[in-house]
Amino acid sequence: MTSDEPSAALSACDLTLAYGRTPVIDGLELSLPRGQVTAIVGPNGCGKSTLLAGLARLHAPQAGAVLLDGRDIQRLPARELARRLALLPQEASAPEGLTVGDLVRFGRQPHQGWLRQWSADDQRAVEHALAAAGLEPLAERALDTLSGGQRQRAWIAMTIAQQTPLLLLDEPTSALDLGHQVEVFDLVRRLAAVGRTVVMVLHDLTSASRYADHLLALYEGRLVAAGPPREVVTEALVRRLYGIDCTLVRDPVSGAPLLADLRRAGTGHRETGRRHSRA
Amino acid sequence: MSDTSLAPVRRAMPGHAACVSPPPGRWRLSTGRYSLLVERRALVVGLLLLAALVAASLAYLALGSERLALGGVVRALAGEGDPIALFLIHELRLPRLAAAWLTGAAFALAGCLMQTLARNRLATPGIIGIDNGATAFAVASVVGLGVSLAPPAMALAGGATAAAITFGLASGGDTRGYRFIVAGIGIGAVFGAVTQLLLARVDIDTANAAYPWTVGSLNARSGNAVAVLATGFAAGLPLALVLARSLTLMRFSDAVSRGLGVRLKRRRWQVLTLSVLITALAVAVAGPVGMVGLIGPEIARSLSSPRGVPLLASALAGALVMVLADLAGRLLLAPIELPVGLVTAVVGGPWLLWILIRPACRSAS
Repeated sequence: MTSDEPSAALSACDLTLAYGRTPVIDGLELSLPRGQVTAIVGPNGCGKSTLLAGLARLHAPQAGAVLLDGRDIQRLPARELARRLALLPQEASAPEGLTVGDLVRFGRQPHQGWLRQWSADDQRAVEHALAAAGLEPLAERALDTLSGGQRQRAWIAMTIAQQTPLLLLDEPTSALDLGHQVEVFDLVRRLAAVGRTVVMVLHDLTSASRYADHLLALYEGRLVAAGPPREVVTEALVRRLYGIDCTLVRDPVSGAPLLADLRRAGTGHRETGRRHSRA
Repeated sequence: MSDTSLAPVRRAMPGHAACVSPPPGRWRLSTGRYSLLVERRALVVGLLLLAALVAASLAYLALGSERLALGGVVRALAGEGDPIALFLIHELRLPRLAAAWLTGAAFALAGCLMQTLARNRLATPGIIGIDNGATAFAVASVVGLGVSLAPPAMALAGGATAAAITFGLASGGDTRGYRFIVAGIGIGAVFGAVTQLLLARVDIDTANAAYPWTVGSLNARSGNAVAVLATGFAAGLPLALVLARSLTLMRFSDAVSRGLGVRLKRRRWQVLTLSVLITALAVAVAGPVGMVGLIGPEIARSLSSPRGVPLLASALAGALVMVLADLAGRLLLAPIELPVGLVTAVVGGPWLLWILIRPACRSAS
């Protein structure tokens, strides 16, 4: 895998990320295809959120580098990086009392300055972001009065208003019910359809298989599979990642891989109908 | 939800700039490529606070052991009228009023900066021990421990020392959460005790002279320290306003503000340094009147829009609180004068309790 292929929007080269002396991501090589949705999956503690933080420069690498269009992101000025790469972290919190419109307008900060506080571009980007997220009717509503799904869409709208070619989302659906999850995933697909590159950390392999074009599977800080979900999701991969035996079937509509008949690896028998001891 | 809305925005044609409408609640001033937004509410709040400050200042000049009519105050300000009024205004009350304005504005501005840095409304320099550190060092120079530095320099050293220890204890510059505040309260208590120890060692006259330092008073100020504070504040306020855009984003969680292009580490150091500096210079004038750092920003925040950090409104509200508190201290038990630090503590103590026990106690915004 060469890190400077022209099709890679973002790539990592021998990337090592560590907390103290413990490496969480160890010598990782990866490249994220431009204009596609990439999902990073793996068991809890495999380092997927740390990897996303590293890709967004929130976590400085111990070794190696993250390259954005071939340039080391550590060398980019902060505001320039923010004009090229937007991040929605998992624990996003805003000051009290903001409206949806206020939040989305903050996404324009990297494009503004002391003498350029509000331009026609800013106005258009905010209007488009609100429309894209279906939040136009809620623009004047206070953020704390929204439902979880609406609030998550408002945060995504803020990153859309940032007008970056690259969007990194850390578990954007983790606290949402099924309906709101589908809303968010649909929005992500439409972003990719107009040429934005999206990277999401997900813990649900089925959603990742359905909505991502490209899958990165992490296990103990190493990449164990990379490629289109239909090719890389196998029963062996599921066993390796989660210690679970399953039967892989195809979604009759989309053809995406679906996991059925889950049971703990090595038990050899089905646990359907029995109470799982490790709930 | 149209898909075209997701495509990258095209650059505006130069001729179309006129039809830009500002975000709600703001005016947009623009010429060519440049544009400024003015928060309407901030302007109204600023003018109201300024009017209140002028009114309180006139009362401050008029009232006291010798009462003057408002007309007399205005005439004396213009340099006319009888010699007694001129002396009262120009030699006694006006310098003290200026010290009240400056210290109040400084404490409140520093409080607002520190609260924003820590994202916690309790995290003012007074509460995290910086006032007490500055006081202990300044008292050391006043009671003469062989240290000949002037109080402002000693207060700066003390404030910086307290801040360094607090931040060191709160594990490597992590300014978020209660660990930081608890460490600061502990450091404040230690430096408070150091001040008492210093005073216990000296004779009663020296201790009396240093007493205003320990509670906070505008009575014992030195003209030199006021001049240093005025210079520091005149430099610090514009610096704080330059940091305002970053401060606004620092109220978001770290990853969000960094994602929006804030160089968080560098900005935190700048905000911390500025806050400690302004606090220490104010302590060198008035002693630890730290409650103003809590009350001023609180008033400003309750009046201002949640979109920004109310730096100017905090400074104005702080000056107002200081003027009113010192006026109350001069009048309440006349001819005995209550130190302004005592008045603000009597008001600020219950205020602090109210913040702590209020049911919806959320972090500062």
